[in-house]
Amino acid sequence: MSEYVKEITQADFEAEVAKSTLPVVLDFFSTDCPPCEALAPKFDAVAGQFAGKARFLKIFRQGNKDLAARLGVTGSPTLLFFRGGAEQGERMSGEEIKRTAIKAQVESLLGA
Amino acid sequence: MAESFDVIIVGAGPAGLSAAIYAARARLKTLVLDESVPGGQMKTTHKVSNYPGFPEDVKGADLAKAFSTQAERFGAKIRRAVEITAHDLTGPVKTFELDEEEHVSAPAVIIATGAKPRELGVPGESKYRGRGISYCATCDGAYFDGKEIHVIGGGNSAVEESLFLTQFAKKVTIIHQFDHFQAEPMTTAEALENPKIEVIWDSEPRAFLGENQLATLRIENVKTKEVRELATDGVFVFVGYVPRTDLVKGLVKMNQWGYVETGEDMSTDVPGVYVAGDIRSKRFRQITTAVADGTIAALAVQKFVKDHRQAA
Repeated sequence: MSEYVKEITQADFEAEVAKSTLPVVLDFFSTDCPPCEALAPKFDAVAGQFAGKARFLKIFRQGNKDLAARLGVTGSPTLLFFRGGAEQGERMSGEEIKRTAIKAQVESLLGA
Repeated sequence: MAESFDVIIVGAGPAGLSAAIYAARARLKTLVLDESVPGGQMKTTHKVSNYPGFPEDVKGADLAKAFSTQAERFGAKIRRAVEITAHDLTGPVKTFELDEEEHVSAPAVIIATGAKPRELGVPGESKYRGRGISYCATCDGAYFDGKEIHVIGGGNSAVEESLFLTQFAKKVTIIHQFDHFQAEPMTTAEALENPKIEVIWDSEPRAFLGENQLATLRIENVKTKEVRELATDGVFVFVGYVPRTDLVKGLVKMNQWGYVETGEDMSTDVPGVYVAGDIRSKRFRQITTAVADGTIAALAVQKFVKDHRQAA
């Protein structure tokens, strides 16, 4: 995991996501999930590109089931995008998440 | 400046990795590109029972790892999680731009991008993807611990993965459009005997409904036309595959279903462009047939590259 990505737990959600002044990209991941492994280096790379402008957080689904259920996340990996504590834009999930697509969505979060 | 290779293989599933093993052993400078981690569809298959050489069931992910380790042992370079952001396969030198910043080239390419899960095309499907609808049992099965779920499909994948999902779910109901499964008889028998599995035959999904999350599945019996709504905690979709042909669309000859036409040596109608595995027009798509395609493509490329060197 790169220095630009931080792993959180559901107890941190309020402080790290809901109250964040910067836009947040939150990645729900699981073990035994090859698409999650595939996403990790792309997520790290995009996090590096937006260092200081947006926050990139990861949360382990198996250890944080309540938050997953509360947000209605039922698949890994799932990316959620937040601005001003509110979820924005389309979620991304599954194996087909492209690096350029994450980048584009973060750009639109920053620009909007 | 582009780094040049003898052959670039796109897709690290069984076809691409078999091609990499043969190409690397032939001392071709070999690069394999994959937008995910190696293994293709194999890596998310919970168990493989029909791949020769493994008397016991093997996890698809383990088989994937074995394939890629073997290819790397012979010197093939495998690039994981890399996105092809531009490409040109028309001329004598094939070029790829990777992640908008790097360039690689080779005189020959083997496109082994395979196929991806087919979507149903039913209303609500994209809305509830990741909010109750899934296409990967190994990835998402654990989300449905103690829940009641539905599986759409009746081929090998659908029935095998339903069996896997019984580890987590309280009940798995399979919705299938015909009155019998297309899966292998052994798998079919195992599913029909499993007390957690129920089957609704002759039925197709018509809509996915809910608020923020999937809650209801609407199905129609194709014989009686009766429409029903079923409460559900989640739906897994396994209704076959569509070829991933983005790289070669409009370039090589394809059949009416979008699969690439090849010669017996896996060549396409564009010199230096070969394809292997599920992307190819053929009758059967198995790990074993993908492996055979990859082998043949690499052997043909070996000769092509040698001729290319002599001509240069």
